Amino acid sequence: MTDRRQTRNQIRGPHSALTDFLASNNISAAQIHQDYQRRLRDAEHQAADEIEENYNQEQGHENRGELKKRKRKEDVVLAKVKQSKEFAQRKARRMGEPDDDDDLIAREMMYERSRPMPGQLDNCELCDKRFTVTPYSKTGPTGGLLCTKCSKAQTDSENKAKAKKRGPRTGRRQNQSNLLDGLAQQGALSLAEMCTKKVADNINDIEEFGDLPSQLLLRLSQILSKRRVMTPRTLNLFLRPDLDSINIYDAAKLETQDFEKIFVLMPSLTHVNIRFAGQLKDQVVGSMLNRNLRIKSLQLDAANLVSDSSWRQLFQRLGPQLQSLKLSNLDCSLDDETLEVLSSCCTTLRRLKLKHCWKLGDRSLQAISTLTSLMHLSLHFYQDVENETLINTISRVGPNLQTLSLEGFTTADDRLLDMIHDKCRLLTKLHFSENAVCTDKGFVRLFTNWPNPALKVVDMSSTRDVDNANPDGPTEATGLASHGFVALMNHSGSMIQRLNISSCRHISHAAFTEVFSDERTYPKLRELDVSFHTVMDDYIVSRIFQSCPNIQKLVAFACFNLRDIQVPPYVALIGGLKAQNSIALEGNMQPQSKTV
Amino acid sequence: MASTDQEQQQPFVTLVSGDGFEFVLPRSTACISKTLAMMFDPSSKFSEALSGRCVLENISGVVLEKVCEYLCYNEKNKTQINVPDMDIPPELCLELLMAADYLDV
Repeated sequence: MTDRRQTRNQIRGPHSALTDFLASNNISAAQIHQDYQRRLRDAEHQAADEIEENYNQEQGHENRGELKKRKRKEDVVLAKVKQSKEFAQRKARRMGEPDDDDDLIAREMMYERSRPMPGQLDNCELCDKRFTVTPYSKTGPTGGLLCTKCSKAQTDSENKAKAKKRGPRTGRRQNQSNLLDGLAQQGALSLAEMCTKKVADNINDIEEFGDLPSQLLLRLSQILSKRRVMTPRTLNLFLRPDLDSINIYDAAKLETQDFEKIFVLMPSLTHVNIRFAGQLKDQVVGSMLNRNLRIKSLQLDAANLVSDSSWRQLFQRLGPQLQSLKLSNLDCSLDDETLEVLSSCCTTLRRLKLKHCWKLGDRSLQAISTLTSLMHLSLHFYQDVENETLINTISRVGPNLQTLSLEGFTTADDRLLDMIHDKCRLLTKLHFSENAVCTDKGFVRLFTNWPNPALKVVDMSSTRDVDNANPDGPTEATGLASHGFVALMNHSGSMIQRLNISSCRHISHAAFTEVFSDERTYPKLRELDVSFHTVMDDYIVSRIFQSCPNIQKLVAFACFNLRDIQVPPYVALIGGLKAQNSIALEGNMQPQSKTV
Repeated sequence: MASTDQEQQQPFVTLVSGDGFEFVLPRSTACISKTLAMMFDPSSKFSEALSGRCVLENISGVVLEKVCEYLCYNEKNKTQINVPDMDIPPELCLELLMAADYLDV
């Protein structure tokens, strides 16, 4: 107080804002310094006392009265500690833990208080070195403090132990991911699959694959592409002159010279499959043609830097030997004229797939109709085509076709279905989706008395009329509806393996009940997609599981009436509400073909 | 024919690696591998089936040990779903992959 009065009368030198602030809040640096000095003194006294005590104990001079006194003192301190706010907080935090005994916590706090404060010196518990205590000093195994070096070592070993604990374990996230891939396998993965995954994990450490068989290379390529690590370095592992096929599912990271390297290093190529080939240019096509490769099967995806003249050159040179051609995602080349060149050159083509090629239109379809050697045809056009042209094409190529896939022909009408009914006799796969004109009657006519043997793969998804002004749909059902569905299953039920009827909005509950009734079984059906069927409920799904003993994958997005379904353990139910909670083991629903 | 029946009842088979290590496994466990199942099929009358002993010349002891570990692991987890993958040392995975391909497991 006297100090302050004095200072008030004195003339002061320059003053910082901080000093003013501290003074206004009654904080004095001298006070802080005094406190600190006192603490230091206390700690020193304590240390000295302890040493003395130890000495006394050792000498056996401790008298009883002193011991009692000390005990009493300790009890007083403990009682004080127990009343403090911090004690209550700590106790609340520890509730339920095994060591939430009051005395224990209080004692712990008391010892913590007697520990050296940050800034003081102490001896390390482990290495006995003298060191300066900081707020970050760790506690050793018996409660003493550790020096910086030992603290760090302890933290490191803790971290290591944590990392080790995780080990190999399949998380819920991985399970869900597998489920979406349709994998609901019982038992362990095959050793080959596990090793392939491991190889993919360590792909950067691998120098070469040795003479790995080609089917394993294919699987490796698939996994690496899925993980997006197909780089120029990884590609080198796949380039082996003795192999006749190359499959790159994700070539997005490869450059022009990498593509050229493929054709230089693999002279015996007959099968080429390169997808996401963004950097595949005219130059690459030119060098491929110059090497006189005996390519029989060619699949290129997204090769948008290849010009029309290059495509024409390719068809002219490879045309006579090409048996299979699959092109997709081409939006700035491959026009109608190029396709006319294709149809005149590639006369022995057995398999043709053109998906998402934006420039193809009516004239292309006409050109395709001359390819009567085709056995597999798959088209997805963006431009509208004349119904007549489509019907004409099917009437000419239909008789030889084994698989037919028509997507995006929105305006095709019942006459197309009639034409398929009349001409196609050898189909095993029929894919006809995204259509808004064909009627249920048309589908009934297609599947009734059709001389074609039972189909194995059927996709009739999104055959329906969409009109926002009329949300209930037209009175006469458009697309595959109740009668068409029953006719389809009557025709193909015995052989069908994969069926997609998502968004066929007019299939009724009664039709489902009829198709999946007690006395009917579909022994080969493995995959079924019934998404966006609002009539689908727990009852029908349980009927499906009964009628299809070998089903592996059921896709049911937006089926809001599915609530508590018992999903057999070997079935992947995709979509559906709370699907992951409902996996149950049912003894009587084991798959029949599960013998080793 | 009587001897074949006897062989069939033999509960254990022996796998021998190229460098001479022997692994004794229950017959059912070994037959998870389709190649071994064919070799040990009593009706095949292969010498492996008669003696219950199969020498795998081109598989080393280290790899064969891992293969046997897998066969037991597969047997153990037969009825489980969402089985975690077995731990495979990275330096072995290519050799093990070749062996797995040969043994069809």
